[in-house]
Amino acid sequence: MKFLWLTLQFLLVYGFYLAGEWLVNLFNIPFPGSIIGFLLLFAALCLKLVPLRAIEAGAQGILAFLPLFFVPATVGIMSYFDLFAGSGVWLIVIIVVSTFLTIIVSGLVSQSVAGTVDKRRQAK
Amino acid sequence: MIQILLSALFFMALTVGLYFAMNVIYLKYRWNALNPVLTTTTLLVLFLLLFDFTYDTYMYGGSVVMFPLGPAVVALAIPLYKQRELLKRHFLAITLGILVGASVGMVSGVLLAALLDFPTEIISALLPKSITSPVAMQISESLGGSAPLAAVFVMLAGFSAALAGPLMMKWLRIDSPIGKGIAFGTAAHGIGTSKAFEDGPEAGSMASVAMTLSAVAGAFLAPVVALWFGL
Repeated sequence: MKFLWLTLQFLLVYGFYLAGEWLVNLFNIPFPGSIIGFLLLFAALCLKLVPLRAIEAGAQGILAFLPLFFVPATVGIMSYFDLFAGSGVWLIVIIVVSTFLTIIVSGLVSQSVAGTVDKRRQAK
Repeated sequence: MIQILLSALFFMALTVGLYFAMNVIYLKYRWNALNPVLTTTTLLVLFLLLFDFTYDTYMYGGSVVMFPLGPAVVALAIPLYKQRELLKRHFLAITLGILVGASVGMVSGVLLAALLDFPTEIISALLPKSITSPVAMQISESLGGSAPLAAVFVMLAGFSAALAGPLMMKWLRIDSPIGKGIAFGTAAHGIGTSKAFEDGPEAGSMASVAMTLSAVAGAFLAPVVALWFGL
Protein backbone atom coordinates (compact mmCIF):
# COMPACT_ATOMS: atom_id res chain seq x y z
CA MET A 1 0.00 0.00 0.00
CA LYS A 2 2.80 2.35 0.96
CA PHE A 3 4.64 1.35 -2.22
CA LEU A 4 1.58 2.14 -4.35
CA TRP A 5 1.26 5.56 -2.65
CA LEU A 6 4.95 6.34 -3.34
CA THR A 7 4.58 5.25 -6.97
CA LEU A 8 1.59 7.56 -7.41
CA GLN A 9 3.58 10.44 -5.92
CA PHE A 10 6.48 9.69 -8.24
CA LEU A 11 4.08 9.71 -11.20
CA LEU A 12 2.81 13.12 -10.08
CA VAL A 13 6.39 14.49 -10.07
CA TYR A 14 6.94 12.83 -13.44
CA GLY A 15 3.78 14.49 -14.76
CA PHE A 16 5.18 17.93 -13.91
CA TYR A 17 8.43 16.98 -15.64
CA LEU A 18 6.54 15.90 -18.78
CA ALA A 19 4.52 19.12 -18.73
CA GLY A 20 7.78 21.12 -18.63
CA GLU A 21 9.29 19.14 -21.50
CA TRP A 22 6.06 19.45 -23.49
CA LEU A 23 5.99 23.25 -23.08
CA VAL A 24 9.65 23.58 -24.09
CA ASN A 25 9.03 21.51 -27.23
CA LEU A 26 5.78 23.31 -28.02
CA PHE A 27 7.42 26.73 -28.07
CA ASN A 28 10.68 25.32 -29.41
CA ILE A 29 12.86 27.11 -26.84
CA PRO A 30 16.37 25.86 -25.98
CA PHE A 31 15.70 25.67 -22.24
CA PRO A 32 15.80 22.76 -19.78
CA GLY A 33 12.25 21.38 -19.57
CA SER A 34 12.97 20.08 -16.08
CA ILE A 35 13.39 23.66 -14.80
CA ILE A 36 9.98 24.59 -16.28
CA GLY A 37 8.53 21.53 -14.54
CA PHE A 38 10.22 22.64 -11.32
CA LEU A 39 8.70 26.13 -11.58
CA LEU A 40 5.24 24.67 -12.33
CA LEU A 41 5.42 22.39 -9.29
CA PHE A 42 6.68 25.21 -7.04
CA ALA A 43 3.82 27.44 -8.23
CA ALA A 44 1.29 24.64 -7.73
CA LEU A 45 2.52 24.17 -4.14
CA CYS A 46 2.38 27.92 -3.38
CA LEU A 47 -1.14 28.20 -4.84
CA LYS A 48 -2.14 25.10 -2.81
CA LEU A 49 -3.20 23.33 -6.03
CA VAL A 50 -1.06 20.39 -4.89
CA PRO A 51 -0.93 19.71 -1.15
CA LEU A 52 2.60 19.10 0.17
CA ARG A 53 1.75 15.70 1.70
CA ALA A 54 0.47 14.43 -1.66
CA ILE A 55 3.93 14.69 -3.19
CA GLU A 56 6.52 15.09 -0.42
CA ALA A 57 7.45 11.45 0.25
CA GLY A 58 7.74 10.60 -3.45
CA ALA A 59 9.86 13.67 -4.20
CA GLN A 60 12.21 13.09 -1.23
CA GLY A 61 12.50 9.47 -2.38
CA ILE A 62 13.78 10.55 -5.81
CA LEU A 63 16.10 13.18 -4.34
CA ALA A 64 17.71 10.63 -2.00
CA PHE A 65 19.16 8.89 -5.07
CA LEU A 66 19.94 11.98 -7.15
CA PRO A 67 23.73 11.37 -7.25
CA LEU A 68 23.19 7.83 -8.60
CA PHE A 69 21.21 9.18 -11.56
CA PHE A 70 24.08 11.21 -12.95
CA VAL A 71 26.82 8.59 -12.54
CA PRO A 72 26.28 7.35 -16.15
CA ALA A 73 26.88 10.93 -17.35
CA THR A 74 30.15 11.33 -15.45
CA VAL A 75 31.32 7.97 -16.85
CA GLY A 76 31.23 9.78 -20.21
CA ILE A 77 34.53 11.39 -19.17
CA MET A 78 36.21 8.30 -20.66
CA SER A 79 35.63 9.75 -24.13
CA TYR A 80 37.50 12.93 -23.15
CA PHE A 81 40.75 11.65 -21.64
CA ASP A 82 42.93 13.05 -24.46
CA LEU A 83 41.44 16.48 -23.76
CA PHE A 84 42.77 16.51 -20.19
CA ALA A 85 46.11 15.03 -21.24
CA GLY A 86 46.96 18.13 -23.31
CA SER A 87 46.14 21.77 -22.62
CA GLY A 88 43.16 20.55 -20.60
CA VAL A 89 45.10 21.03 -17.36
CA TRP A 90 44.34 24.71 -17.87
CA LEU A 91 40.65 23.88 -17.71
CA ILE A 92 41.15 22.69 -14.14
CA VAL A 93 42.94 25.95 -13.27
CA ILE A 94 40.10 27.96 -14.86
CA ILE A 95 37.45 26.02 -12.94
CA VAL A 96 39.26 26.49 -9.62
CA VAL A 97 39.85 30.24 -10.13
CA SER A 98 36.30 30.87 -11.36
CA THR A 99 34.82 28.81 -8.48
CA PHE A 100 36.84 30.82 -5.94
CA LEU A 101 35.58 34.07 -7.48
CA THR A 102 32.00 32.77 -7.23
CA ILE A 103 32.46 31.92 -3.54
CA ILE A 104 33.95 35.33 -2.75
CA VAL A 105 31.34 37.37 -4.62
CA SER A 106 28.21 35.45 -3.60
CA GLY A 107 29.39 35.17 0.01
CA LEU A 108 30.33 38.82 0.42
CA VAL A 109 27.28 40.19 -1.42
CA SER A 110 24.73 38.08 0.48
CA GLN A 111 26.42 38.69 3.84
CA SER A 112 26.64 42.47 3.43
CA VAL A 113 23.10 42.80 2.06
CA ALA A 114 21.76 40.71 4.96
CA GLY A 115 23.71 42.90 7.40
CA THR A 116 22.31 46.13 5.91
CA VAL A 117 18.74 44.80 5.88
CA ASP A 118 19.07 43.69 9.52
CA LYS A 119 20.32 47.14 10.60
CA ARG A 120 17.41 48.87 8.84
CA ARG A 121 14.91 46.51 10.44
CA GLN A 122 16.39 47.24 13.89
CA ALA A 123 16.34 51.00 13.25
CA LYS A 124 12.61 50.88 12.55
CA MET B 1 18.93 -8.07 -29.58
CA ILE B 2 19.28 -10.44 -26.61
CA GLN B 3 22.86 -9.25 -26.29
CA ILE B 4 21.79 -5.62 -26.01
CA LEU B 5 19.23 -6.54 -23.39
CA LEU B 6 21.79 -8.52 -21.40
CA SER B 7 24.41 -5.77 -21.49
CA ALA B 8 21.74 -3.23 -20.51
CA LEU B 9 20.78 -5.33 -17.50
CA PHE B 10 24.40 -6.01 -16.61
CA PHE B 11 25.50 -2.36 -16.70
CA MET B 12 22.39 -1.24 -14.83
CA ALA B 13 23.08 -3.71 -12.05
CA LEU B 14 26.79 -2.86 -12.00
CA THR B 15 26.15 0.91 -11.73
CA VAL B 16 23.49 0.62 -9.04
CA GLY B 17 25.41 -2.04 -7.08
CA LEU B 18 28.70 -0.14 -7.15
CA TYR B 19 26.99 3.10 -6.18
CA PHE B 20 25.35 1.59 -3.11
CA ALA B 21 28.60 -0.08 -2.05
CA MET B 22 30.54 3.19 -2.48
CA ASN B 23 27.84 5.08 -0.62
CA VAL B 24 28.22 2.76 2.38
CA ILE B 25 31.99 3.36 2.34
CA TYR B 26 31.52 7.13 2.10
CA LEU B 27 29.01 7.21 4.96
CA LYS B 28 31.51 5.34 7.11
CA TYR B 29 34.51 7.67 6.57
CA ARG B 30 32.95 10.90 5.18
CA TRP B 31 36.04 12.05 3.28
CA ASN B 32 35.53 14.30 0.23
CA ALA B 33 37.79 12.05 -1.82
CA LEU B 34 35.40 9.13 -1.19
CA ASN B 35 32.43 10.99 -2.75
CA PRO B 36 30.32 8.10 -4.11
CA VAL B 37 29.86 9.67 -7.56
CA LEU B 38 33.63 10.07 -7.88
CA THR B 39 34.50 6.55 -6.68
CA THR B 40 31.70 4.82 -8.61
CA THR B 41 32.65 6.68 -11.80
CA THR B 42 36.35 5.83 -11.41
CA LEU B 43 35.64 2.12 -10.88
CA LEU B 44 33.19 1.99 -13.81
CA VAL B 45 35.63 3.73 -16.17
CA LEU B 46 38.44 1.37 -15.12
CA PHE B 47 36.14 -1.62 -15.67
CA LEU B 48 35.06 -0.43 -19.14
CA LEU B 49 38.64 0.31 -20.23
CA LEU B 50 40.01 -2.95 -18.81
CA PHE B 51 37.43 -5.13 -20.59
CA ASP B 52 37.35 -3.01 -23.74
CA PHE B 53 33.73 -1.84 -23.59
CA THR B 54 32.73 1.39 -25.32
CA TYR B 55 30.74 4.16 -23.62
CA ASP B 56 27.90 3.50 -26.08
CA THR B 57 27.65 -0.13 -24.96
CA TYR B 58 27.67 0.98 -21.33
CA MET B 59 24.88 3.46 -22.02
CA TYR B 60 22.40 0.70 -22.96
CA GLY B 61 22.18 0.25 -19.21
CA GLY B 62 23.40 3.71 -18.20
CA SER B 63 20.55 5.54 -19.92
CA VAL B 64 18.05 3.52 -17.85
CA VAL B 65 19.80 4.59 -14.63
CA MET B 66 19.71 8.21 -15.84
CA PHE B 67 15.99 8.14 -16.61
CA PRO B 68 14.80 9.74 -13.29
CA LEU B 69 17.25 12.65 -13.59
CA GLY B 70 14.76 15.11 -15.09
CA PRO B 71 12.00 14.32 -12.55
CA ALA B 72 14.63 14.69 -9.79
CA VAL B 73 15.18 18.32 -10.84
CA VAL B 74 11.42 18.88 -10.61
CA ALA B 75 11.44 17.30 -7.14
CA LEU B 76 13.83 20.04 -5.92
CA ALA B 77 10.70 22.22 -5.67
CA ILE B 78 9.75 20.38 -2.46
CA PRO B 79 12.80 21.31 -0.31
CA LEU B 80 12.62 24.87 -1.66
CA TYR B 81 8.91 25.12 -0.82
CA LYS B 82 9.62 23.89 2.72
CA GLN B 83 12.25 26.64 3.09
CA ARG B 84 9.95 29.37 1.76
CA GLU B 85 9.87 31.23 5.11
CA LEU B 86 13.67 31.45 5.10
CA LEU B 87 13.55 32.61 1.48
CA LYS B 88 10.97 35.29 2.28
CA ARG B 89 12.85 36.60 5.33
CA HIS B 90 16.20 36.98 3.51
CA PHE B 91 14.84 37.48 0.01
CA LEU B 92 17.09 40.39 -1.00
CA ALA B 93 20.32 38.93 0.40
CA ILE B 94 19.64 35.52 -1.16
CA THR B 95 18.59 36.70 -4.63
CA LEU B 96 21.31 39.35 -4.96
CA GLY B 97 24.05 37.01 -3.71
CA ILE B 98 22.96 34.29 -6.12
CA LEU B 99 22.44 36.54 -9.16
CA VAL B 100 25.76 38.35 -8.81
CA GLY B 101 27.63 35.15 -7.83
CA ALA B 102 26.17 33.05 -10.65
CA SER B 103 26.93 35.77 -13.23
CA VAL B 104 30.53 36.17 -12.03
CA GLY B 105 30.95 32.38 -12.06
CA MET B 106 29.73 32.02 -15.64
CA VAL B 107 31.43 35.08 -17.12
CA SER B 108 34.82 34.47 -15.45
CA GLY B 109 34.92 30.84 -16.57
CA VAL B 110 33.89 31.58 -20.15
CA LEU B 111 36.19 34.60 -20.38
CA LEU B 112 39.28 32.71 -19.17
CA ALA B 113 38.56 29.75 -21.45
CA ALA B 114 38.00 32.07 -24.43
CA LEU B 115 41.30 33.86 -23.70
CA LEU B 116 43.08 30.50 -23.79
CA ASP B 117 41.42 29.69 -27.13
CA PHE B 118 39.45 26.64 -26.11
CA PRO B 119 36.91 25.41 -28.70
CA THR B 120 33.29 26.54 -28.35
CA GLU B 121 32.10 23.01 -27.52
CA ILE B 122 34.30 22.96 -24.42
CA ILE B 123 33.45 26.51 -23.34
CA SER B 124 29.72 25.65 -23.55
CA ALA B 125 30.32 22.70 -21.23
CA LEU B 126 32.34 24.89 -18.86
CA LEU B 127 29.74 27.66 -18.63
CA PRO B 128 27.29 25.92 -16.22
CA LYS B 129 29.97 24.41 -13.93
CA SER B 130 28.57 25.94 -10.70
CA ILE B 131 25.09 24.52 -11.33
CA THR B 132 23.81 21.16 -10.08
CA SER B 133 24.74 18.39 -12.58
CA PRO B 134 21.32 17.45 -14.00
CA VAL B 135 20.58 21.07 -14.94
CA ALA B 136 24.17 21.84 -16.00
CA MET B 137 24.10 18.89 -18.41
CA GLN B 138 20.90 20.13 -20.03
CA ILE B 139 22.24 23.68 -20.27
CA SER B 140 25.46 22.46 -21.87
CA GLU B 141 23.52 20.40 -24.41
CA SER B 142 21.18 23.26 -25.27
CA LEU B 143 24.28 25.41 -26.02
CA GLY B 144 25.82 22.70 -28.20
CA GLY B 145 28.27 21.43 -25.58
CA SER B 146 28.71 17.92 -24.25
CA ALA B 147 26.69 16.69 -21.26
CA PRO B 148 29.33 14.32 -19.79
CA LEU B 149 32.00 16.99 -20.00
CA ALA B 150 29.69 19.46 -18.21
CA ALA B 151 29.07 16.88 -15.46
CA VAL B 152 32.81 16.45 -14.97
CA PHE B 153 33.41 20.23 -14.78
CA VAL B 154 30.58 20.48 -12.24
CA MET B 155 32.30 17.86 -10.08
CA LEU B 156 35.63 19.72 -10.29
CA ALA B 157 33.96 22.98 -9.25
CA GLY B 158 32.27 21.20 -6.34
CA PHE B 159 35.45 19.59 -5.07
CA SER B 160 37.56 22.73 -5.32
CA ALA B 161 34.95 24.65 -3.31
CA ALA B 162 34.59 21.90 -0.71
CA LEU B 163 38.36 21.68 -0.20
CA ALA B 164 39.33 25.37 -0.22
CA GLY B 165 36.00 27.06 0.59
CA PRO B 166 36.13 26.94 4.41
CA LEU B 167 39.63 28.47 4.51
CA MET B 168 38.79 31.19 1.97
CA MET B 169 35.67 32.17 3.87
CA LYS B 170 37.68 32.43 7.06
CA TRP B 171 40.21 34.78 5.42
CA LEU B 172 37.50 36.97 3.88
CA ARG B 173 35.45 36.96 7.10
CA ILE B 174 32.45 35.38 5.41
CA ASP B 175 31.33 34.08 8.77
CA SER B 176 27.51 34.41 8.87
CA PRO B 177 25.39 31.33 8.09
CA ILE B 178 23.79 33.34 5.26
CA GLY B 179 27.11 34.25 3.62
CA LYS B 180 28.57 30.76 3.99
CA GLY B 181 25.40 28.98 2.86
CA ILE B 182 24.83 31.18 -0.20
CA ALA B 183 28.51 30.95 -1.19
CA PHE B 184 28.57 27.14 -0.95
CA GLY B 185 25.21 26.64 -2.68
CA THR B 186 25.89 29.10 -5.50
CA ALA B 187 29.48 28.02 -6.26
CA ALA B 188 29.30 24.33 -5.47
CA HIS B 189 25.74 22.89 -5.77
CA GLY B 190 25.18 19.58 -3.93
CA ILE B 191 28.78 19.03 -2.85
CA GLY B 192 28.89 22.55 -1.38
CA THR B 193 25.49 22.08 0.26
CA SER B 194 26.62 19.01 2.16
CA LYS B 195 29.73 20.94 3.22
CA ALA B 196 27.52 23.80 4.45
CA PHE B 197 25.45 21.37 6.52
CA GLU B 198 28.66 20.43 8.38
CA ASP B 199 28.74 24.07 9.46
CA GLY B 200 25.22 23.93 10.89
CA PRO B 201 21.59 23.52 9.83
CA GLU B 202 21.11 27.23 9.08
CA ALA B 203 24.02 27.43 6.62
CA GLY B 204 22.92 24.09 5.18
CA SER B 205 19.35 25.20 4.50
CA MET B 206 20.66 28.43 2.98
CA ALA B 207 22.95 26.43 0.71
CA SER B 208 20.16 24.14 -0.45
CA VAL B 209 17.98 27.16 -1.26
CA ALA B 210 20.94 28.74 -3.10
CA MET B 211 21.70 25.54 -5.01
CA THR B 212 18.13 25.30 -6.31
CA LEU B 213 17.68 29.00 -7.09
CA SER B 214 21.09 29.29 -8.77
CA ALA B 215 20.08 26.40 -11.04
CA VAL B 216 16.94 28.33 -12.02
CA ALA B 217 18.86 31.61 -12.40
CA GLY B 218 21.60 29.79 -14.31
CA ALA B 219 19.13 28.33 -16.80
CA PHE B 220 18.00 31.88 -17.64
CA LEU B 221 21.47 33.49 -17.51
CA ALA B 222 23.27 30.83 -19.56
CA PRO B 223 21.78 31.66 -22.98
CA VAL B 224 22.42 35.38 -22.34
CA VAL B 225 26.09 34.82 -21.45
CA ALA B 226 26.45 32.42 -24.39
CA LEU B 227 24.97 34.97 -26.78
CA TRP B 228 27.22 37.69 -25.37
CA PHE B 229 30.36 35.62 -26.02
CA GLY B 230 29.06 34.36 -29.36
CA LEU B 231 28.99 30.69 -28.33
